[in-house]
Amino acid sequence: MTCRLILAAICLCPVPSWAAIEYVGSNVCKTCHPDIWVRFYKNPHFKSIAMGQEPPERTGCEGCHGPGQAHVKAPSKATIVAFSQLPAEKILDNCLTCHSQSITRANIRRSSHTLNGLVCTGCHSIHKSTAPKFLLASRQTDLCYGCHQDVRSQFSMPFKHRVNEGFMQCTDCHNPHGAFMPTWRMAARPRMVEQALANEEPCLKCHPEKRGPFVFEHAPVRVDGCETCHQPHGSTNSRLLRRPVVFTLCLECHNGAGNFGLQGSGEPTQTASHNMADPRFQNCTACHVRIHGSNTDATFLR
Amino acid sequence: MRPIAIALLCSATLLAQQTVAPTPDVNVSARGQDWSGYNIVGSLETGYRFATVGGNYAQYQSMVNFQDGIRLLSGYLSMTSKDGHGKYFDELLITTAGLGNDPYENAMLRIAKNGLYRYDMTWRRNDYVNPGLVTGGANDGHFLDTQYDMQDHDLTLFPQSNLKFFLGYSSTAQSGPALSSIQIESGGAIYPLFENVSRQQHEYRVGNEFRLLGFRVNWMHGWQDFKEDTPYSQTGSSALTEFQRNEPYHGTSPYWRVMLFRDLKNFSVNGRFTYTGGNRDFIFDETSISPNRIGAQQNQQVLSFGDAKRPVATGNLTVSWFPVSKLTVTNSTAVYSVRTEGDSSFLQYDNATQAVNYLSYQYLGIRTVSNETDLNYQALSWLGFSGGFQYSNRLIRSDQVFTVGGSPAGSPYDQTDQQRSGTVGIRLRPYKGLTVLLNGEIGTDDHPLTPAAGKTYHALNGKVQYRNKKFSLTANAQSNYRFTPVSLSAYSSESRTYSVSGSYTPNEWLTFDAGYSRLHIYSLGGIAYFENLQLVQGESSLYLSNINAINFGARFALKRRGELYLGYNSVQDVGDGRSTPDGAGIASPNPVFQAIQTFPVTFQSPMARLSIRLQERLRWNFGYQYYGYREKFYSAQDYRASTGYSSLTWSF
Repeated sequence: MTCRLILAAICLCPVPSWAAIEYVGSNVCKTCHPDIWVRFYKNPHFKSIAMGQEPPERTGCEGCHGPGQAHVKAPSKATIVAFSQLPAEKILDNCLTCHSQSITRANIRRSSHTLNGLVCTGCHSIHKSTAPKFLLASRQTDLCYGCHQDVRSQFSMPFKHRVNEGFMQCTDCHNPHGAFMPTWRMAARPRMVEQALANEEPCLKCHPEKRGPFVFEHAPVRVDGCETCHQPHGSTNSRLLRRPVVFTLCLECHNGAGNFGLQGSGEPTQTASHNMADPRFQNCTACHVRIHGSNTDATFLR
Repeated sequence: MRPIAIALLCSATLLAQQTVAPTPDVNVSARGQDWSGYNIVGSLETGYRFATVGGNYAQYQSMVNFQDGIRLLSGYLSMTSKDGHGKYFDELLITTAGLGNDPYENAMLRIAKNGLYRYDMTWRRNDYVNPGLVTGGANDGHFLDTQYDMQDHDLTLFPQSNLKFFLGYSSTAQSGPALSSIQIESGGAIYPLFENVSRQQHEYRVGNEFRLLGFRVNWMHGWQDFKEDTPYSQTGSSALTEFQRNEPYHGTSPYWRVMLFRDLKNFSVNGRFTYTGGNRDFIFDETSISPNRIGAQQNQQVLSFGDAKRPVATGNLTVSWFPVSKLTVTNSTAVYSVRTEGDSSFLQYDNATQAVNYLSYQYLGIRTVSNETDLNYQALSWLGFSGGFQYSNRLIRSDQVFTVGGSPAGSPYDQTDQQRSGTVGIRLRPYKGLTVLLNGEIGTDDHPLTPAAGKTYHALNGKVQYRNKKFSLTANAQSNYRFTPVSLSAYSSESRTYSVSGSYTPNEWLTFDAGYSRLHIYSLGGIAYFENLQLVQGESSLYLSNINAINFGARFALKRRGELYLGYNSVQDVGDGRSTPDGAGIASPNPVFQAIQTFPVTFQSPMARLSIRLQERLRWNFGYQYYGYREKFYSAQDYRASTGYSSLTWSF
């Protein structure tokens, strides 16, 4: 309590601090930067000026670019915080000064983007954004495809989630700022995947009928996730499956080998009544219709 | 600055344009009218979309699905308060696309007043058609012609203050006709089953954020309700003389989520903790009369009812330490605990045999604890390193004890899996604009659940990227290997991806971009199966895919009067080069498996779009896009389609 009283006394002292002296206010900045100022009211950061409640170091231009007094006296990029001159780690630190305490950015320092040197200004354009939201430098898919050409190719395949059609966005499933560890596949992969309720796979946001709980769960769905059988971005196989036909997908696990499966004695093989020479038995899900989980049948027949 | 702005605008027009409409509007940010303290920007594009399809129409519906008709192809409205003190709002933003029966419709609304509230809404509708065909040419018996509706509403009160309140609502609904299948008797005939899909999920949430003892605390409580009331009826089969099924399935998942943040000068910590209590109640009531395997009429009743519970608890704690800007060490711990339990009774009564089966509940519990430490060090301005180590421990407890005719089967079983993985990465920026990234990861599992999960894996990734104001070029190579050695059979898979992409904007009126990817998948999985009552073991199932994907686009601005865009997209899986489905003699010798080892297919889509300025605020647009899908071995599913549109865009 004593420390707080001392701190409060210091803060209430009428003598201005050195920091306050060095700040000049956004009105001074617009004198030389009218091209930025004329549209700045559309910038989300304009709120800090409109609200008029933030301290100088968190307000307007100087909230990001630092105190401007030296820059006013000697205009140059050396006398101001110029993001074009900053190393990546400094850009991240600057933005996180205000934007760190958010659920969506809780893992930004360990995200794959940060570890590969991609920081805020790689995707966000603070003064020249062309996207309607989040100050993105361009459309979200354009930004992601700019580095992830292989993913772009997957979304161009005949069977795919509708990202190119504008129905979905990458951030429906991914968190570009880094995600919490997944609760499937040993919590290691995939990274950068935004999770649904109860830290489940994001697939369940739009496919709630697959969530369960079911009396009889298909354990790999719960343990290793949807990607065990499906390719989430796109595939040349229907239903985004990893194989052209479903029976190879099933048989590659259900081979009775090793100590796999819930009982540790191998994933159970077919029974003898399944004759793979008969086309009727080559389509497993024609009978095992509730393959994601069932309430009435342990082998997912109903 | 100007060239950068031009590059940004041009890139926005060019990349990722896979569908011909709506026409991208690149000038939105430059226009606007001032009115009563607000700046207003808007545009509407409306016109006629056409489509002609030849070949397999259902397959077209599954992949593309554009139809004829008048559309509001896109809409945009923005109102922004110029002083940040609007009377009722400071920001209003509305965007729409595809309204008027396009298969992919969406709308977004944001309205906000500084310091007081912010409301965000998204609405999406997708006509989802699945023709029930699989890529091998066979019919899988599951047809869908349904509509997905999704909406999200989020209201934040006092969004710029230290005391915030959150209210939210989301819903997902799927409805429409579908065909499934049913097998009354194990090993018996399969009958078609008509469904009128009716699934709904509603989520309500309320939360709050405040500061306490230096921590920012964010909590949320929600309720997610799900119900499925799909009616079923037998159709198209005279053999199934009588059939009736009711299967209501309702439940709720209430949840709590708490998050804590604390930032200090060189140190930050955050934690997230969730608890979700899932519950589903169900009744399954089915009666049928059908011939059994020897032709005698069989009267069978199935009754199942009960409830399933799945409580889930999770915890995440992340601690970051950054003594200097060049070094960050992050440690993250995650705990996940889920158990599925409940009660259920299952009664199956067969009039012919008078057999009664009774099943009690299964139990599945998963507990995973994982810890990861990552290090990120920028040694020099042009040289950086990253590395990490992760340890995960997973316990799966399953109880498959159930009674069949009064006799228990199976026994409780616990299994523990430990995974250790390490990553290393290096970043190089030898000179401005050029970035080189090299990453590697290796991991081992000692007890994966399935062979396909892999006991060992390693991944390598390399990327070179060069960017300047007019030109960008990215080349990427990555490989993933996964391997499981087991006693009777083995599973291994490898995928390699090579891609290169680039864009070039030599001036204000010309832009090119192009990309190429080569995706290679080779997997070999041990299989065991029955053929004519004989168990076949020791064979492998092979899948081989070699996909070449190309995209190209060019944009020409025609003296500020118009704009022409030409694009081409092609995906071709060349398989292993074989000319017939018959196998190449590797892996399983069984023709059933040889014929599906690879699946050559071509999917291409060239397009052109022209946009002409008629007046200051009026543009005429015309576009054409061709879709061609062709399977090399099975022609029944091939199709070709010509789609396009003609529209007017009014901007203000």
